Amino acid sequence: MMTRFFLGAARLVLVGLLTASALRAQMAADTSVYKPPVAPPLQKGSPLDHLTNDPKLDTLPYGYKEGHTGGATYFIAHRHIDEMGGSGWGWVRKSDEDWGDAKWIALQEQPGLAVAPFRKLTHRDGDADWEFKFWGKFAPYKAYDPHLDEVLPVFVLEGYEVIGPEPAPNLKVGAPDRPEHRASGASSRSDRAIRTDID
Amino acid sequence: MRIIFALLVLGLATAGALAQSREDIVVTGGPALRFMEHGKDASHDFYWFNFIDGSTIRLKELKDAAKPGELVTWLVYEPGYASRAKELGMDLLSQIQAKATQLGVTLVYFHTKAELVSYLNRGHDRDQMKIASFDYFGHSNKACFLFDYSNMIDSMSVNYLHVRDLGLIDSDVLAKDATCKSWGCHSGEMYSQWWKSHFDVAMIGAIGKTDFSKGGEPVLSNSDGKWVQ
Repeated sequence: MMTRFFLGAARLVLVGLLTASALRAQMAADTSVYKPPVAPPLQKGSPLDHLTNDPKLDTLPYGYKEGHTGGATYFIAHRHIDEMGGSGWGWVRKSDEDWGDAKWIALQEQPGLAVAPFRKLTHRDGDADWEFKFWGKFAPYKAYDPHLDEVLPVFVLEGYEVIGPEPAPNLKVGAPDRPEHRASGASSRSDRAIRTDID
Repeated sequence: MRIIFALLVLGLATAGALAQSREDIVVTGGPALRFMEHGKDASHDFYWFNFIDGSTIRLKELKDAAKPGELVTWLVYEPGYASRAKELGMDLLSQIQAKATQLGVTLVYFHTKAELVSYLNRGHDRDQMKIASFDYFGHSNKACFLFDYSNMIDSMSVNYLHVRDLGLIDSDVLAKDATCKSWGCHSGEMYSQWWKSHFDVAMIGAIGKTDFSKGGEPVLSNSDGKWVQ
Protein backbone atom coordinates (compact mmCIF):
# COMPACT_ATOMS: atom_id res chain seq x y z
CA MET A 1 0.00 0.00 0.00
CA MET A 2 2.78 2.41 1.00
CA THR A 3 4.80 1.50 -2.13
CA ARG A 4 1.81 2.23 -4.36
CA PHE A 5 1.25 5.57 -2.57
CA PHE A 6 4.84 6.71 -3.05
CA LEU A 7 4.91 5.53 -6.69
CA GLY A 8 1.78 7.60 -7.35
CA ALA A 9 3.27 10.62 -5.62
CA ALA A 10 6.51 10.33 -7.60
CA ARG A 11 4.53 10.14 -10.86
CA LEU A 12 2.62 13.31 -9.91
CA VAL A 13 5.85 15.16 -9.10
CA LEU A 14 7.36 14.08 -12.46
CA VAL A 15 4.30 15.28 -14.40
CA GLY A 16 4.39 18.56 -12.46
CA LEU A 17 8.05 19.14 -13.25
CA LEU A 18 7.55 18.40 -16.95
CA THR A 19 4.55 20.73 -17.14
CA ALA A 20 6.40 23.54 -15.35
CA SER A 21 9.38 23.15 -17.65
CA ALA A 22 7.12 23.23 -20.74
CA LEU A 23 5.38 26.33 -19.42
CA ARG A 24 8.70 28.03 -18.76
CA ALA A 25 9.88 27.26 -22.30
CA GLN A 26 6.60 28.61 -23.67
CA MET A 27 6.96 31.81 -21.60
CA ALA A 28 10.54 32.29 -22.77
CA ALA A 29 9.47 32.02 -26.39
CA ASP A 30 6.48 34.30 -25.95
CA THR A 31 7.57 37.90 -26.26
CA SER A 32 4.06 39.35 -26.09
CA VAL A 33 4.60 40.16 -22.40
CA TYR A 34 7.13 42.77 -23.52
CA LYS A 35 5.31 44.22 -26.51
CA PRO A 36 7.00 47.35 -27.82
CA PRO A 37 4.98 50.56 -27.48
CA VAL A 38 2.66 51.53 -30.27
CA ALA A 39 1.46 55.13 -30.12
CA PRO A 40 -2.33 55.25 -30.14
CA PRO A 41 -4.16 57.89 -32.14
CA LEU A 42 -5.02 61.09 -30.27
CA GLN A 43 -8.49 60.86 -28.79
CA LYS A 44 -10.99 63.59 -29.63
CA GLY A 45 -11.27 65.91 -26.63
CA SER A 46 -8.13 64.53 -24.95
CA PRO A 47 -6.03 67.08 -23.02
CA LEU A 48 -3.21 66.18 -25.40
CA ASP A 49 -5.36 67.18 -28.34
CA HIS A 50 -5.96 70.56 -26.70
CA LEU A 51 -2.24 71.04 -26.04
CA THR A 52 -1.23 70.04 -29.51
CA ASN A 53 -3.80 71.94 -31.50
CA ASP A 54 -4.73 75.05 -29.53
CA PRO A 55 -2.88 78.21 -30.66
CA LYS A 56 -0.46 79.51 -28.02
CA LEU A 57 -0.39 83.13 -26.91
CA ASP A 58 2.58 85.34 -26.00
CA THR A 59 0.62 87.07 -23.27
CA LEU A 60 -2.60 86.41 -21.40
CA PRO A 61 -5.69 88.49 -22.27
CA TYR A 62 -6.79 90.74 -19.39
CA GLY A 63 -10.07 89.57 -17.93
CA TYR A 64 -9.88 86.14 -19.56
CA LYS A 65 -11.87 83.58 -17.57
CA GLU A 66 -11.67 79.81 -17.46
CA GLY A 67 -13.67 77.24 -15.47
CA HIS A 68 -16.13 78.05 -12.71
CA THR A 69 -15.74 81.74 -11.86
CA GLY A 70 -19.17 82.60 -10.51
CA GLY A 71 -18.69 82.09 -6.78
CA ALA A 72 -18.62 85.05 -4.40
CA THR A 73 -15.68 83.56 -2.50
CA TYR A 74 -12.42 83.69 -4.36
CA PHE A 75 -8.68 83.94 -3.83
CA ILE A 76 -6.04 86.32 -5.13
CA ALA A 77 -3.17 84.38 -6.64
CA HIS A 78 0.28 85.65 -7.54
CA ARG A 79 2.32 83.50 -9.91
CA HIS A 80 6.01 83.45 -9.06
CA ILE A 81 8.92 81.39 -10.34
CA ASP A 82 10.97 79.66 -7.65
CA GLU A 83 14.56 80.49 -8.54
CA MET A 84 15.79 77.51 -6.51
CA GLY A 85 14.14 75.20 -9.04
CA GLY A 86 11.10 74.20 -7.03
CA SER A 87 7.80 73.45 -8.73
CA GLY A 88 5.55 75.49 -6.44
CA TRP A 89 3.15 77.72 -8.42
CA GLY A 90 3.12 80.92 -6.36
CA TRP A 91 1.17 82.51 -3.48
CA VAL A 92 -2.55 82.37 -2.85
CA ARG A 93 -4.57 84.37 -0.31
CA LYS A 94 -8.27 84.77 0.37
CA SER A 95 -9.66 87.88 -1.30
CA ASP A 96 -10.40 89.49 2.08
CA GLU A 97 -7.02 88.69 3.61
CA ASP A 98 -3.61 90.38 3.41
CA TRP A 99 -0.58 88.97 1.61
CA GLY A 100 0.83 88.17 5.04
CA ASP A 101 -1.72 85.34 5.22
CA ALA A 102 -0.81 83.98 1.79
CA LYS A 103 0.46 80.44 1.25
CA TRP A 104 3.02 79.17 -1.22
CA ILE A 105 1.14 76.42 -3.04
CA ALA A 106 1.26 73.47 -5.40
CA LEU A 107 -1.40 73.96 -8.07
CA GLN A 108 -3.63 71.02 -8.92
CA GLU A 109 -5.14 71.53 -12.35
CA GLN A 110 -8.34 69.93 -13.58
CA PRO A 111 -8.03 69.28 -17.31
CA GLY A 112 -11.40 69.82 -18.89
CA LEU A 113 -12.38 72.39 -16.24
CA ALA A 114 -9.50 74.73 -15.43
CA VAL A 115 -5.76 74.39 -16.00
CA ALA A 116 -2.80 76.60 -15.12
CA PRO A 117 -2.87 79.89 -17.05
CA PHE A 118 0.59 79.27 -18.54
CA ARG A 119 -0.85 76.38 -20.58
CA LYS A 120 -2.25 79.01 -22.95
CA LEU A 121 1.19 80.60 -23.41
CA THR A 122 4.18 79.92 -25.59
CA HIS A 123 6.44 79.85 -22.50
CA ARG A 124 5.80 78.08 -19.20
CA ASP A 125 7.04 81.12 -17.28
CA GLY A 126 5.14 83.61 -19.45
CA ASP A 127 2.77 84.39 -16.57
CA ALA A 128 5.54 85.08 -14.02
CA ASP A 129 4.46 87.84 -11.60
CA TRP A 130 0.97 88.03 -13.00
CA GLU A 131 -2.04 88.02 -10.69
CA PHE A 132 -5.30 86.19 -10.96
CA LYS A 133 -8.56 85.64 -9.19
CA PHE A 134 -8.70 81.96 -8.33
CA TRP A 135 -11.77 79.90 -7.52
CA GLY A 136 -11.18 76.57 -5.87
CA LYS A 137 -10.21 75.06 -2.53
CA PHE A 138 -7.32 73.69 -0.53
CA ALA A 139 -7.02 69.89 -0.73
CA PRO A 140 -6.86 67.76 2.43
CA TYR A 141 -3.58 66.26 1.15
CA LYS A 142 -0.19 67.83 0.47
CA ALA A 143 2.22 67.60 -2.42
CA TYR A 144 5.86 66.56 -2.29
CA ASP A 145 8.24 68.57 -4.45
CA PRO A 146 11.04 66.13 -5.26
CA HIS A 147 13.28 68.85 -6.63
CA LEU A 148 13.58 70.55 -3.26
CA ASP A 149 12.49 67.77 -0.89
CA GLU A 150 9.70 69.87 0.58
CA VAL A 151 5.98 69.50 1.14
CA LEU A 152 3.43 72.11 -0.02
CA PRO A 153 -0.30 72.72 0.48
CA VAL A 154 -2.34 71.88 -2.62
CA PHE A 155 -4.80 74.34 -4.17
CA VAL A 156 -7.34 72.63 -6.42
CA LEU A 157 -8.15 75.04 -9.24
CA GLU A 158 -11.77 75.26 -10.34
CA GLY A 159 -11.58 78.49 -12.28
CA TYR A 160 -9.61 81.69 -12.76
CA GLU A 161 -9.78 85.23 -14.10
CA VAL A 162 -6.73 87.13 -15.34
CA ILE A 163 -6.02 90.38 -13.46
CA GLY A 164 -2.63 91.31 -14.93
CA PRO A 165 1.04 91.82 -14.02
CA GLU A 166 1.83 92.97 -10.48
CA PRO A 167 5.05 93.35 -8.46
CA ALA A 168 5.81 90.32 -6.34
CA PRO A 169 4.70 90.66 -2.71
CA ASN A 170 7.53 90.77 -0.22
CA LEU A 171 7.15 87.16 0.88
CA LYS A 172 9.43 84.19 1.37
CA VAL A 173 9.39 81.76 -1.54
CA GLY A 174 8.72 78.10 -0.77
CA ALA A 175 7.44 76.04 2.13
CA PRO A 176 7.44 77.82 5.51
CA ASP A 177 10.12 75.45 6.79
CA ARG A 178 12.51 76.06 3.89
CA PRO A 179 15.78 77.31 5.36
CA GLU A 180 17.24 80.44 3.81
CA HIS A 181 20.45 78.59 2.95
CA ARG A 182 20.08 74.85 3.24
CA ALA A 183 22.92 72.44 2.75
CA SER A 184 22.55 69.49 0.47
CA GLY A 185 19.66 67.66 2.24
CA ALA A 186 18.11 65.32 -0.30
CA SER A 187 20.11 66.75 -3.15
CA SER A 188 21.88 64.45 -5.51
CA ARG A 189 24.53 67.05 -6.24
CA SER A 190 26.42 68.68 -3.43
CA ASP A 191 27.40 71.65 -5.56
CA ARG A 192 23.82 72.65 -6.21
CA ALA A 193 21.84 73.59 -3.09
CA ILE A 194 18.89 71.36 -2.23
CA ARG A 195 17.80 70.38 -5.73
CA THR A 196 17.06 66.72 -6.20
CA ASP A 197 16.95 65.03 -9.56
CA ILE A 198 14.17 62.63 -10.28
CA ASP A 199 13.32 60.13 -12.97
CA MET B 1 -3.94 3.10 9.25
CA ARG B 2 -0.90 3.34 6.98
CA ILE B 3 -2.76 5.75 4.70
CA ILE B 4 -3.68 7.92 7.66
CA PHE B 5 -0.06 7.90 8.79
CA ALA B 6 1.15 8.81 5.30
CA LEU B 7 -1.37 11.65 5.05
CA LEU B 8 -0.30 12.84 8.49
CA VAL B 9 3.34 12.89 7.42
CA LEU B 10 2.39 14.66 4.19
CA GLY B 11 0.31 17.20 6.13
CA LEU B 12 3.14 17.92 8.55
CA ALA B 13 5.57 18.32 5.67
CA THR B 14 3.20 20.74 3.93
CA ALA B 15 2.71 22.71 7.12
CA GLY B 16 6.48 22.85 7.53
CA ALA B 17 6.87 24.10 3.98
CA LEU B 18 4.18 26.73 4.51
CA ALA B 19 5.83 27.86 7.73
CA GLN B 20 8.94 28.58 5.69
CA SER B 21 7.08 30.25 2.82
CA ARG B 22 8.50 33.43 1.41
CA GLU B 23 7.23 36.18 -0.83
CA ASP B 24 8.95 38.06 -3.63
CA ILE B 25 7.58 41.58 -4.03
CA VAL B 26 7.87 43.96 -6.95
CA VAL B 27 6.48 47.48 -6.44
CA THR B 28 5.72 49.53 -9.56
CA GLY B 29 5.02 53.26 -9.56
CA GLY B 30 2.91 55.08 -12.13
CA PRO B 31 3.83 57.20 -15.16
CA ALA B 32 3.50 60.95 -15.60
CA LEU B 33 0.71 62.36 -17.72
CA ARG B 34 1.79 63.75 -21.05
CA PHE B 35 -0.50 66.69 -20.31
CA MET B 36 1.90 67.65 -17.50
CA GLU B 37 5.16 66.81 -19.24
CA HIS B 38 4.33 68.08 -22.71
CA GLY B 39 6.80 70.72 -23.89
CA LYS B 40 9.32 70.38 -21.06
CA ASP B 41 13.03 70.21 -21.82
CA ALA B 42 13.35 67.09 -19.67
CA SER B 43 10.07 65.39 -20.43
CA HIS B 44 9.27 62.14 -18.64
CA ASP B 45 7.40 58.99 -19.62
CA PHE B 46 6.71 59.29 -23.32
CA TYR B 47 6.01 55.56 -23.06
CA TRP B 48 3.32 54.71 -20.50
CA PHE B 49 4.61 51.22 -19.65
CA ASN B 50 8.32 52.00 -19.12
CA PHE B 51 8.08 50.94 -15.45
CA ILE B 52 5.71 48.06 -16.23
CA ASP B 53 8.03 46.52 -18.83
CA GLY B 54 11.03 46.63 -16.49
CA SER B 55 8.89 45.10 -13.76
CA THR B 56 7.63 42.21 -15.92
CA ILE B 57 11.16 41.18 -16.80
CA ARG B 58 12.12 41.08 -13.13
CA LEU B 59 8.89 39.28 -12.24
CA LYS B 60 9.64 36.58 -14.77
CA GLU B 61 13.12 36.12 -13.32
CA LEU B 62 11.64 35.81 -9.85
CA LYS B 63 8.88 33.45 -10.98
CA ASP B 64 11.38 31.20 -12.75
CA ALA B 65 13.61 31.06 -9.68
CA ALA B 66 10.80 30.75 -7.12
CA LYS B 67 10.89 27.69 -4.92
CA PRO B 68 7.71 25.71 -4.25
CA GLY B 69 5.51 27.68 -1.86
CA GLU B 70 7.23 30.97 -2.67
CA LEU B 71 4.79 33.67 -3.73
CA VAL B 72 5.55 36.30 -6.33
CA THR B 73 3.46 39.43 -5.79
CA TRP B 74 3.25 42.51 -8.00
CA LEU B 75 2.12 45.71 -6.29
CA VAL B 76 1.13 48.38 -8.80
CA TYR B 77 0.10 52.00 -8.08
CA GLU B 78 -3.30 51.90 -9.77
CA PRO B 79 -4.27 55.61 -9.89
CA GLY B 80 -1.23 56.45 -12.03
CA TYR B 81 -2.23 53.94 -14.71
CA ALA B 82 -5.95 54.76 -14.45
CA SER B 83 -5.32 58.44 -15.21
CA ARG B 84 -2.78 57.74 -17.97
CA ALA B 85 -5.29 55.27 -19.44
CA LYS B 86 -7.93 57.99 -19.46
CA GLU B 87 -5.53 60.35 -21.19
CA LEU B 88 -4.58 57.76 -23.78
CA GLY B 89 -8.05 56.33 -24.29
CA MET B 90 -6.65 52.85 -23.69
CA ASP B 91 -7.50 50.23 -21.07
CA LEU B 92 -4.08 49.98 -19.42
CA LEU B 93 -5.38 48.23 -16.30
CA SER B 94 -6.64 45.26 -18.33
CA GLN B 95 -3.26 45.07 -20.03
CA ILE B 96 -1.49 45.02 -16.66
CA GLN B 97 -3.83 42.29 -15.41
CA ALA B 98 -3.16 40.27 -18.57
CA LYS B 99 0.59 40.53 -18.03
CA ALA B 100 0.23 39.40 -14.42
CA THR B 101 -1.92 36.45 -15.47
CA GLN B 102 0.52 35.47 -18.19
CA LEU B 103 3.42 35.63 -15.75
CA GLY B 104 1.47 33.70 -13.11
CA VAL B 105 2.05 36.31 -10.41
CA THR B 106 -0.40 37.83 -7.96
CA LEU B 107 -1.38 41.40 -8.89
CA VAL B 108 -2.27 43.74 -6.04
CA TYR B 109 -3.21 47.33 -6.82
CA PHE B 110 -2.49 49.96 -4.18
CA HIS B 111 -3.84 53.50 -4.12
CA THR B 112 -2.03 55.12 -1.20
CA LYS B 113 1.17 54.84 0.77
CA ALA B 114 -0.91 53.51 3.67
CA GLU B 115 -2.20 50.61 1.54
CA LEU B 116 1.31 49.70 0.44
CA VAL B 117 2.65 49.83 3.98
CA SER B 118 -0.31 47.78 5.19
CA TYR B 119 0.40 45.08 2.60
CA LEU B 120 4.08 44.92 3.48
CA ASN B 121 3.24 44.64 7.18
CA ARG B 122 0.12 42.50 7.11
CA GLY B 123 -0.46 41.23 3.54
CA HIS B 124 0.49 37.86 5.03
CA ASP B 125 1.45 36.74 8.49
CA ARG B 126 4.98 38.11 8.41
CA ASP B 127 6.05 35.77 11.22
CA GLN B 128 5.32 32.91 8.82
CA MET B 129 6.00 34.53 5.45
CA LYS B 130 8.96 36.86 5.21
CA ILE B 131 9.68 38.99 2.16
CA ALA B 132 12.48 37.27 0.28
CA SER B 133 13.04 39.99 -2.27
CA PHE B 134 11.90 43.57 -2.87
CA ASP B 135 12.26 45.48 -6.14
CA TYR B 136 11.07 49.01 -6.87
CA PHE B 137 10.43 50.37 -10.36
CA GLY B 138 9.30 53.97 -10.65
CA HIS B 139 10.20 57.61 -10.27
CA SER B 140 12.48 58.45 -7.39
CA ASN B 141 14.97 60.91 -6.05
CA LYS B 142 17.61 60.05 -3.51
CA ALA B 143 15.20 60.50 -0.58
CA CYS B 144 11.93 59.19 -1.92
CA PHE B 145 10.06 56.61 -4.00
CA LEU B 146 7.48 58.62 -5.99
CA PHE B 147 4.52 56.39 -6.84
CA ASP B 148 3.06 59.27 -8.79
CA TYR B 149 5.00 62.09 -10.39
CA SER B 150 3.53 64.76 -12.67
CA ASN B 151 0.37 62.74 -12.74
CA MET B 152 -1.97 64.63 -10.43
CA ILE B 153 0.14 67.76 -9.99
CA ASP B 154 2.74 69.04 -12.42
CA SER B 155 6.27 68.00 -11.35
CA MET B 156 5.08 66.89 -7.91
CA SER B 157 3.94 63.79 -6.07
CA VAL B 158 1.05 63.13 -3.71
CA ASN B 159 1.76 59.45 -3.02
CA TYR B 160 5.31 58.64 -2.11
CA LEU B 161 7.45 56.72 0.38
CA HIS B 162 10.04 59.07 1.80
CA VAL B 163 12.99 57.74 3.80
CA ARG B 164 11.28 59.29 6.81
CA ASP B 165 8.30 56.96 6.13
CA LEU B 166 10.36 53.75 6.31
CA GLY B 167 9.60 53.59 10.03
CA LEU B 168 5.97 52.85 9.10
CA ILE B 169 7.09 49.44 7.82
CA ASP B 170 7.80 46.81 10.47
CA SER B 171 11.54 46.32 10.57
CA ASP B 172 11.27 42.49 10.60
CA VAL B 173 9.15 41.94 7.45
CA LEU B 174 12.20 41.13 5.33
CA ALA B 175 14.04 37.83 5.47
CA LYS B 176 17.57 38.27 6.80
CA ASP B 177 18.92 37.11 3.42
CA ALA B 178 16.45 39.17 1.37
CA THR B 179 17.66 40.79 -1.83
CA CYS B 180 16.41 44.35 -2.36
CA LYS B 181 16.91 46.74 -5.23
CA SER B 182 15.57 50.11 -6.29
CA TRP B 183 15.76 50.48 -10.05
CA GLY B 184 14.87 54.18 -9.81
CA CYS B 185 17.22 57.14 -9.98
CA HIS B 186 19.56 58.15 -7.17
CA SER B 187 18.36 55.63 -4.55
CA GLY B 188 21.95 54.58 -3.85
CA GLU B 189 22.80 58.11 -2.76
CA MET B 190 20.58 58.09 0.33
CA TYR B 191 17.67 55.62 0.28
CA SER B 192 19.89 52.54 0.43
CA GLN B 193 21.57 53.74 3.63
CA TRP B 194 18.25 54.48 5.36
CA TRP B 195 16.88 51.11 4.18
CA LYS B 196 19.87 49.24 5.61
CA SER B 197 19.61 51.19 8.83
CA HIS B 198 15.91 50.37 9.26
CA PHE B 199 15.74 46.75 8.07
CA ASP B 200 19.34 45.63 8.62
CA VAL B 201 19.15 44.33 5.04
CA ALA B 202 21.02 45.94 2.14
CA MET B 203 19.24 47.56 -0.79
CA ILE B 204 21.02 48.08 -4.09
CA GLY B 205 20.43 51.54 -5.52
CA ALA B 206 21.82 53.72 -8.27
CA ILE B 207 24.30 56.52 -7.98
CA GLY B 208 23.02 58.83 -10.69
CA LYS B 209 20.09 58.39 -13.02
CA THR B 210 18.62 55.21 -14.45
CA ASP B 211 17.11 54.97 -17.91
CA PHE B 212 13.83 53.13 -18.49
CA SER B 213 13.29 54.52 -21.97
CA LYS B 214 15.13 51.82 -23.91
CA GLY B 215 12.76 49.07 -22.77
CA GLY B 216 13.75 46.04 -20.74
CA GLU B 217 15.45 46.36 -17.39
CA PRO B 218 16.53 49.94 -16.67
CA VAL B 219 20.21 50.76 -17.03
CA LEU B 220 22.45 53.41 -15.55
CA SER B 221 22.22 56.60 -17.61
CA ASN B 222 25.64 58.07 -16.97
CA SER B 223 29.06 56.61 -17.50
CA ASP B 224 30.01 57.59 -13.95
CA GLY B 225 26.85 56.04 -12.50
CA LYS B 226 27.04 52.81 -10.52
CA TRP B 227 24.98 50.45 -8.40
CA VAL B 228 25.78 50.50 -4.69
CA GLN B 229 24.26 49.14 -1.50
